[in-house]
Amino acid sequence: MVWLFYLAAAVALFCTVMVITRLNAVHALLYMVMALLSLALIFFLLGAPFIAALEVIVYAGAIMVLFVFVIMMLNIGPQSVDQERRWFNLSTWRGLVFIAGILLIELIIALRLGFPEPLDVTEVTPHQVSLSLFGPYLLGVELASMLLLAGLVGAYHLGRREQERPKK
Amino acid sequence: MTLQDLRPLLPLLVLSAAIVTVMLVIAFKRDHRLTFALTLIGLVLSLAALPLASSGLPRTVTPLVVIDGFALFYIALVLAASLVVVIFSFSYLEKVAGNREEYYLLMMLATLGAVVLVVSNHFVSFFIGLETLSISLYTLIAYTRFERQRIEAAIKYLVLAAAASSFLLFGMALAYLVYGTMQFDQMSSPSNFSAADSALLTVGLAMLMVGIGFKLALVPFHMWAPDVYQGAPAPVTAFVATVSKGGIIALMLRLFAFVPLTLGSNLWNVFALIAILSMLAGNVLAVVQSNVKRILAYSSIAHFGYLLVAFLASNALSISSMTFYLVVYIITSLIAFGVITVLSHPQKEFEELEDYRGLFRQQRRPAIFLGLALLSLASLPPTGGLVGKIFLAAAGVESSLWLLLAALVIGSVIGVFYYLRVAITIFRQPEEESAVWTAPRLTPLAEVTLVLLSLGLIILGIFPAPLINLIEAVAARLG
Amino acid sequence: MTAIPLNHALILSAMLFTVGLVGLLVRRNIFFMLMSIEIMLNAAGLAFIVAGTRWGQPDGQVMFLFILALAAAEVSIGLALILRLYQQFKTMDVDAAHELQG
Repeated sequence: MVWLFYLAAAVALFCTVMVITRLNAVHALLYMVMALLSLALIFFLLGAPFIAALEVIVYAGAIMVLFVFVIMMLNIGPQSVDQERRWFNLSTWRGLVFIAGILLIELIIALRLGFPEPLDVTEVTPHQVSLSLFGPYLLGVELASMLLLAGLVGAYHLGRREQERPKK
Repeated sequence: MTLQDLRPLLPLLVLSAAIVTVMLVIAFKRDHRLTFALTLIGLVLSLAALPLASSGLPRTVTPLVVIDGFALFYIALVLAASLVVVIFSFSYLEKVAGNREEYYLLMMLATLGAVVLVVSNHFVSFFIGLETLSISLYTLIAYTRFERQRIEAAIKYLVLAAAASSFLLFGMALAYLVYGTMQFDQMSSPSNFSAADSALLTVGLAMLMVGIGFKLALVPFHMWAPDVYQGAPAPVTAFVATVSKGGIIALMLRLFAFVPLTLGSNLWNVFALIAILSMLAGNVLAVVQSNVKRILAYSSIAHFGYLLVAFLASNALSISSMTFYLVVYIITSLIAFGVITVLSHPQKEFEELEDYRGLFRQQRRPAIFLGLALLSLASLPPTGGLVGKIFLAAAGVESSLWLLLAALVIGSVIGVFYYLRVAITIFRQPEEESAVWTAPRLTPLAEVTLVLLSLGLIILGIFPAPLINLIEAVAARLG
Repeated sequence: MTAIPLNHALILSAMLFTVGLVGLLVRRNIFFMLMSIEIMLNAAGLAFIVAGTRWGQPDGQVMFLFILALAAAEVSIGLALILRLYQQFKTMDVDAAHELQG
């Protein structure tokens, strides 16, 4: 089943690269959903079936749909693709990819040493996750509700359409 | 968790209850004065709950949170600073068109985030506290919504803060991978680590540092600071400069009390470089600015560089000198931004250096408060700024960090120049046409607060001993 | 279950993280920048899952849940800001920061 891991990893990496190089936002979103789905498969293989399901339901399902909504509300047409093409400047890419490449190489050197032996993955079941979530992490859950409240109030305040602009 | 655990949590519980109350009141009745009063009451009650929470400490409540003397001290600092910001905000918000009430709700949520940072003993509470703070700030920065610079500042802050959070998370994941726990006080010393593990840990801590450095606006992660300081409404800038950074410093002290940062290691050298760059670049870039909010932004970069000197010394003086300096810095910033806030209008902030020309002739009292704050920022007597900086330098001398101390001295000298430039502008003769802005009225509450803060600043400059003793008592528990 | 070489999973997360970082740095459209941030958050989440797997603990997964909550809140605010920017100024270009100096 290891080949399945490498297949999913390859798909995830390919789709992610496609996301950041697309000119059309909707195409990028579709690649993003693909990347998230293959990541979900990787989570499953790593013994986290609960997270795999959430990745599909919440990330690919809810958060990406939010993006689609905004694209539709903004009604971004072909002119934005043209604009993107103008911004798509190879020289900026070259320099930044080089810098990021250095970071990646450093990370890989540090990570490669880590665990050369394949580990027998033991599944951590949703049962265990829930027990932990509502046991030691109870305060975290309560605080996360405050985090979401801040997001809710903020999105409401910023997104609200005003009837009239204030007098200057 | 038991009922006994709730008692130390009382300040957080009161604050959360106040948040829910304010939210419900807004839903039923929109009233600026009422919301303002409820927010003040909530923050004061939360402060009043501190003595009740102080028995039987230190206490670990679930793995996530630890309440000890150090935490209570910082909670008090964060709550008091937030209270002052809210007081200054009132007259500013009166002039805002549209909904004003959500501002207070978000302010309290951001304060809760900072309080959680202060008490956190675990990556999860660290992360959630930090993000509650950030998410509330995104909206607060763009609060008035119609000025382009606000929205741009908010987007810039959001994108950079989110990127910094990703770095932070990746660093946390690597640290968890090595330690097998996310609880600070169980992160044992790396004596039995393999080479691979310590390589992972170094990378992880470096990425953690990117996240922390961003929040403290240290060079080279400072790009957001001038734009956000300038673009945000003045009271929100005050909040970013004081509450948000105070929370991070408390967390950093707690985390690195357990995670070792040995003198001379690679990571230590990187920190030292960051400190030197912050002290020098912050001060040099401040000289060429002509906008007071941008000057204060660069000055805050430099001041957090100074704090890092004592942090890197990591000796007996570190925690107490950093805490003392932070208290002084927070009081000073609150005065400076408080004056800017009371003079500003949401559509026309009082922020260009030219605006301040002749302020003393027109607005005597705000000019004196601002002058005092500038003296303290420049570390001149009779303010707490001088004592604070000597204390920081003493920590550096103790560990003989001569290079860092040299940068501190050079930075301070440059600092004196541009702080005095602003101060001189205030006392210069006003130009003829500069009387266009209508003199705003100080609310009595804001005025009393400014007087108290200024008195506090002078008292800390003359009799620093009581506060230092208090800080040493609470800091002794840590590390 | 299967035996997965953990260091390869970690390297995958590092790669995804870097790709997200590149996207964040080179794209000027705020929309793509938000997506790049989602990629980076996901990569960090993957690293947490790998760490949880190494220790056989649920903690890594719990952390992922909190990251999910953050991502939702952050995206909603980010998109609200984009809407405001676009409705009022008809642009998605963050670099058009003419109002702020420097």
